[in-house]
Amino acid sequence: MTDQLTRRQLLERAAIGGAAITFPGILAACGGTGSKASGGTTSVEQKLAKTLNFSNWTLYMDVNKKTKHFPSLDAFQKKTGVHVNYMEDINDNASFFGKIQGPLSRGQSIHRDIVVLTDNDRYLGLMLRKGWAEKLDKSAIPNMKNLVDVQKHPNFDESRDYTLPWQSGMSGIAYNDTLTDPVLSADDLLENPKLKGKITVLNSMGDAMTIVMLANGDDPTNVTDKAWNAAFKRIQKAVDNKQIRQFTGNDYAPILARGDLMAAMSWSGDIAQLGNKHIHWNVPEAGGALWTDNMLIPKGGNVYTASVYMNYVYDPKVQGAMEAGDPKKNITGIYYIPPVKGAGEFAKRYDPSVANNPLIFPSAKTLSKVKIFDSKALNNQKYLEQWQNLISG
Amino acid sequence: MSAVAVERARTRGSAPATAWAFVKRHVLTVYSVLFFAYLLLPIAVVAVFSFNNPPGKFNFTWNKFTWDNWRYWNGVPGIESSIILSLEIALIASLIATALGTLIALALVRYGFRGRATTNILIFLPLSTPEIVLGASLLTLFLNATFITVQFGFWTILIAHIMFCISFAVVTVKARLVGFDRHLEEAAMDLGANEWTTFRKVTLPLIAPAILAALLLCFAISIDDFVVTYFNSGSRVTFPLYVWGSARNGAPPQVNVIGTAIFVIAVTAMLLNVVIQMRRERRGAA
Amino acid sequence: MSLFHRHRGLTPYLLLAPGVLFLALFFVVPLGFLAYQSLQSGNFDIGYTFSWQWSNYWDALHNYRAQFIRSLEYAGIATLLALIISYPVAYWIAFRGGRWKNLLLLFIVAPFFVTYLIRTLAWETILSDNGFVVNTLQSLHVLGPSGRLLATSTAVVTGITYNFLPFMALPLYVSLEQIDGRMIEAAEDLYASKWHAFWRVTFPLSLPGVVAGTLLTFIPAAGDFINAQLLGSPDNHMIGNVIQSKFLELTDYPAAAAMSFILMAGILIAVFLYARVVGTEQLTGTAA
Repeated sequence: MTDQLTRRQLLERAAIGGAAITFPGILAACGGTGSKASGGTTSVEQKLAKTLNFSNWTLYMDVNKKTKHFPSLDAFQKKTGVHVNYMEDINDNASFFGKIQGPLSRGQSIHRDIVVLTDNDRYLGLMLRKGWAEKLDKSAIPNMKNLVDVQKHPNFDESRDYTLPWQSGMSGIAYNDTLTDPVLSADDLLENPKLKGKITVLNSMGDAMTIVMLANGDDPTNVTDKAWNAAFKRIQKAVDNKQIRQFTGNDYAPILARGDLMAAMSWSGDIAQLGNKHIHWNVPEAGGALWTDNMLIPKGGNVYTASVYMNYVYDPKVQGAMEAGDPKKNITGIYYIPPVKGAGEFAKRYDPSVANNPLIFPSAKTLSKVKIFDSKALNNQKYLEQWQNLISG
Repeated sequence: MSAVAVERARTRGSAPATAWAFVKRHVLTVYSVLFFAYLLLPIAVVAVFSFNNPPGKFNFTWNKFTWDNWRYWNGVPGIESSIILSLEIALIASLIATALGTLIALALVRYGFRGRATTNILIFLPLSTPEIVLGASLLTLFLNATFITVQFGFWTILIAHIMFCISFAVVTVKARLVGFDRHLEEAAMDLGANEWTTFRKVTLPLIAPAILAALLLCFAISIDDFVVTYFNSGSRVTFPLYVWGSARNGAPPQVNVIGTAIFVIAVTAMLLNVVIQMRRERRGAA
Repeated sequence: MSLFHRHRGLTPYLLLAPGVLFLALFFVVPLGFLAYQSLQSGNFDIGYTFSWQWSNYWDALHNYRAQFIRSLEYAGIATLLALIISYPVAYWIAFRGGRWKNLLLLFIVAPFFVTYLIRTLAWETILSDNGFVVNTLQSLHVLGPSGRLLATSTAVVTGITYNFLPFMALPLYVSLEQIDGRMIEAAEDLYASKWHAFWRVTFPLSLPGVVAGTLLTFIPAAGDFINAQLLGSPDNHMIGNVIQSKFLELTDYPAAAAMSFILMAGILIAVFLYARVVGTEQLTGTAA
């Protein structure tokens, strides 16, 4: 499918009769702008490109199970004439970054207009600090006003000049009620001897340290060495006395589902999707972590077209539809926490169960208990090394 | 001459000895059957779960039986193109790698030449390089090749796969060439065949099992590779890339379907081959 | 006319050319870049500069000695296990397989068709703490009452062994398959027992396969990371995991590169010692 688009795109470009179609140019037309990244855009040309190249995580878009189409993307094309080349090729922040830093560090374009990276991992901040992100064309995103307040001024992008949230999720603790009494706090998770060897902790520094710092009464949004060391020591102790079975990414899910774990530090969306009524997820008593996958325009991407798309998904009506899907039409929704005010109202029309799901539309009380990890700490080399040595023995 | 099963003459030995011989003979078979059971156990589990209608997005616990996954085996966007790409690459890469590897193996075993030791080291090095730096360094090569604009996708993946498969092919075919009985070749040449004909009609058929084994090995490695492929795939998605990517939100049961299906199709193809051969032999003997 | 050419002009070079050139371009050049990177200093923010930073090597050896040794250990055990497990089967296929040989070979590589992640998931289901296997082992007192198989070094080594079985079995088969059964018959006619015939005739003739199989198993297994990541606890992690994290999470490319070279050197030394023990002819095939 990608290849057919490439040919069509080429022909269109030839028809426009613009740039010389050289042999390298044809080779480079892998579905992108194909140009070397220019250094710093000053004024944005307000012209829509024919194609928008959008890299995202898998299963992160509303999809029609029968036709395999993405309804919201089709609707976008109908509205603006822009075809979205949607690629689900991000499965992990670290490896995706490891891949794109190659071309970006050489000033080459990665042929993407939008990529999605998580804010409680270091790479989002790193992209901004290295100047590898294009500034958003805010004049094309009036719907930005619909951004929920808690996301308006994150510490890695104070004025939201470069990023906009895609979806959020929460990190907390899940437990299996057939195997254990409710595990509702990090204290319980890390120190209850009854759970020894039957718990896992997330290998993501931002998630794990947020939860443990909060349990210590410290502030994870502003990390001090003292707070770091206290939380680190606690986790270290749990590793040494074999309380922690493994550090996991989302591979805790099968182990938890199978009953090999009594409790696990886990992400909210996963547990809802396990479909096991014995497994309960909660924000820990002292608080949990909030993570947000953010859209970002990498250097060389088409700023105007990307901005127009972002504006489109920030329309509450569109967001509501994307979030809920439509069970009647065989469309699965995204089922994570949307960053757009008012999306819940529209989601109700398509699937009331989604609108009422506290993991997808959490209450204000829940939201007040989840925190975003300090982005400065995420790039602290000392902390990073300590953490990696801990989880890698 | 390939190994022939040889029946011991039953002239010696009393009943216990023949009984012991019976047990000994079948121990190997029983062991081998157990081995295959162990080897294929996960595939059985995978196959079973391909019929599962998962309770949520995750296919970890058995919920209820359904034919839907098989019926709509390509019902998830991206899965069909990923497996087609993987099969294409695996096929082409294994053929080329085996061909190149066989040539190298022949040179290494049969000829003394300067740079022999270096070549041997060159063959071992890719095997010992951790995948992540292998993939990343190859990516760097492609990025620095500014005289041509490299299109990341099919060709870069193919190049990467051939690169790491060659060593496997070389070592596998070498195992056959070392200790190869030259007298057959010498006999052929004494009877007037030139080198090329000898190679074609004597050597090649005799090392065919090794070439087939190398092909199978390379195919398997290629179709399962993740790390090196990930770095050099651009926006193309192979089957392992798809599986790893979808695992975050729950790999769909269609993944199980495809894995099982490939296995079944390959086995059926082989079986058909055997049956056809048996028919041919029967017809020939008749 | 001798078929073993000591130095037969261009032929060996012509045979080597396509493969070696391919590797030279797509492996050696990247490796050169990796070497260059291993001597760089700096960090991701300010960039890396080449500065003959040999301390990258020293630090790596010093700080991660345990993981290096553990990797060689696990890989060694896995290789030995794979050899013991696969040899009888390779023998069986070679001598008793008949027309089913190719089908059986296909079975050996079949698990690879079902991506690594999925078959490991299946193993996790089979070896679950509450599953049949663990329960049986517990009742046989092989495992303690709260013992488990997953997230242990056993799981990691077993995972490596399982996933590298084809790399051992196929070369073994290749070498066994060419043994002329009549030689074994001759040995037995000369009053050797079956066992004796095996040890004196078959096994030595299969040595090239044993060597090939051990190399193809041990070398990549030493650099493996994925089995430790999914099946192990932090204290089972191998050097592959460290290199992985240095590269991806810490973006410390010089360290990752230096570690990779140390690993490669370690492996080459191990192979060299192995060659001494086994005899270089088997490894490099100089015998006519």
